[in-house]
Amino acid sequence: MRIGTIESIWRYPVKGMRGEEIPHVYTAYTGLMGDRIYGVVAADGDPGHPWHTGRDQEEFVLYKACYNASEDLLLPSNLDATYSEWAPGIDPLYPDADAFKVNVETPEGAIYDDIENPEFIEDLEKITGRSLRIHASQRGIFDARPVSLISLSATAKLGEELGMHIDKRRFRANFYIEWDRSIQDDPFYELSLVGKTLKIGAWLEVSIVERDPRCTMITLDPDTAVATPKLLQHLGRKHDGDAGVFAAVLQRGRVNKGDPIFLK
Amino acid sequence: MNQNDKEHDKASRLIIKSFRLTLDGENFVVPIAAGETLLQAALAAGIDAPHSCTQGRCGTCMSWLRNGGVLMSATRALSKRNIENGYVLACQSRPSSNDPIWLDFDL
Repeated sequence: MRIGTIESIWRYPVKGMRGEEIPHVYTAYTGLMGDRIYGVVAADGDPGHPWHTGRDQEEFVLYKACYNASEDLLLPSNLDATYSEWAPGIDPLYPDADAFKVNVETPEGAIYDDIENPEFIEDLEKITGRSLRIHASQRGIFDARPVSLISLSATAKLGEELGMHIDKRRFRANFYIEWDRSIQDDPFYELSLVGKTLKIGAWLEVSIVERDPRCTMITLDPDTAVATPKLLQHLGRKHDGDAGVFAAVLQRGRVNKGDPIFLK
Repeated sequence: MNQNDKEHDKASRLIIKSFRLTLDGENFVVPIAAGETLLQAALAAGIDAPHSCTQGRCGTCMSWLRNGGVLMSATRALSKRNIENGYVLACQSRPSSNDPIWLDFDL
């Protein structure tokens, strides 16, 4: 049964920095290709969550991170061959590590052509007063699960409840969803899908494994980094602190903007 | 709840002081027991204080300590700026001085 559509696809080259909208992407068991490949580790960070993010430095969400070879990091070059010649599909070949190089632009307009350039970390350390280092992993650096989804109806309803416009980007999801309102009219429909399997597009299958418990990251305006704590307070008081859901990948595949979503 | 828990619970509700709490423009006087966090006291008083993880991770109970002193078990959900602004995590905060406490959730 068709229940919705992929409204947009987003990935975040550097954990905690601004994301980029992409037209399509290969999604593996380890998440979207190119999603959260880099993270900044703080020496004084929580041992269980050592990442330097907007939770520590609000303006971090304004840093723009872009792959130098973004187009090469949407689909593996041999993807079609892995589908057609090997059932049920084998792991395609990802680009070499060099292809994942990321450039960063700070809110002040400073540009670093490679996040792994020591100058970037040195300057960030001066701004934050923390001892920091870059960590890179092609498998992606996620807090909880490799794929996250939230519907536009949920973000709109939260905005309506709070009497404010809520930019969907606050939620830093991979897939923003438009539910088919002719099927149901619950704006928070995704929360009821925990335990269910969805097929997205022609190939991807995901299991919705849990609701997404939110933190102060959603309080930060993605364009100004100004915090609105009442959003998180409202979520805690009226929605058990959850917004959107996490998914685990059951079948890898390409996803396109506009792809249909089916409930299996 | 076993007998030991009951005794502990009873003991933990021995009120030692009260504090002022502001939420949605309303002011409350909240009794607090020995060992309790400000959030636990607020919830015990029936106040719908914002909270979620209660572990100091999510930041939902972040609030402004307008007066008084608290000791926090964890501050990981607070940014440097939050701390400079006097924000605390109610779920991690216990009174640390005799100064009157005023906790404001209307940020």
